[in-house]
Amino acid sequence: MQLHPRHFGRDLRDKLVSKLMKDVEGTCSGRHGFIVAITGIENVGKGLIRDGTGFVTFPIKYQCVVFRPFKGEILEAVVTMVNKMGFFAEAGPVQIFVSNHLIPDDMEFQSGDMPNYTTSDGSVKIQKDSEVRLKIIGTRVDATEIFCIGTIKDDFLGVISDPNATA
Amino acid sequence: MSAEEEENAAELKIGDEFLKAKCLMNCEVSLILEHKYEQMQQMAEDPMNQMSQVFEKSLQYVKRFSRYKNPDSVRQVREILSRYQLAEFELCVLGNLCPETAEEAIAMVPSIKNRGRELDEEAIDKMLNDLSLVKKFE
Repeated sequence: MQLHPRHFGRDLRDKLVSKLMKDVEGTCSGRHGFIVAITGIENVGKGLIRDGTGFVTFPIKYQCVVFRPFKGEILEAVVTMVNKMGFFAEAGPVQIFVSNHLIPDDMEFQSGDMPNYTTSDGSVKIQKDSEVRLKIIGTRVDATEIFCIGTIKDDFLGVISDPNATA
Repeated sequence: MSAEEEENAAELKIGDEFLKAKCLMNCEVSLILEHKYEQMQQMAEDPMNQMSQVFEKSLQYVKRFSRYKNPDSVRQVREILSRYQLAEFELCVLGNLCPETAEEAIAMVPSIKNRGRELDEEAIDKMLNDLSLVKKFE
């Protein structure tokens, strides 16, 4: 249940809903994660006029799609940046960092215009735009985004496709 | 706060709220978001402006990682997985990652092995096999 202020108007419900979508979609909270999209309004309660301002607060019950990564969860992500400290990946709006301590030991950093991590035999390569499967080991939430620490040092984790192989 | 500290998806500790909530697979989210995107396109003349960054990124992400594209197979996948008394969360991780072997499935979702359910490797193998059939005949 979410409280929601609104000025005046006659087509009030529609305005409330569109304001709710504008205000709430794309926000992020520690408990629920990212609110991606509102899918339905369950009910709109009675408004309460605020003393002094004329603002009205409505309780609105709604359904939405949220995205919340959990510690220990395994998911797939796209690599966005590689450097000698590790690499960054993105799963939708969530940023994930995998430090080089959490990349298997047999993978070495290679600098150059396309920095990457490669196994000694060159068979597996992590670079920008690679798709990797990783495990979340830590999360940090601030007001507008969720930041995760991930690892690929475990069974069945690592690259699932690299952009060159499919081309 | 203590519940927060103990959060561990491997043991299915994801908080009461999320255990009860309906969990969606990437492919399902993709269907919902695409539908919503179409709606927004019809309503506003500048859909790009209407869309939040989070929405846009999420849509891109689920599109990229959806294993099943057509709505019928998405429904089938949920139907198959829901035969096995999985928690919502487990169901979705399996549906998202499509492991190939029982061993892999257990590594992905360790909680399916405990909790005292009659889910032996054979049952898991059967489940994964059914899933790959859906994929094949998509």
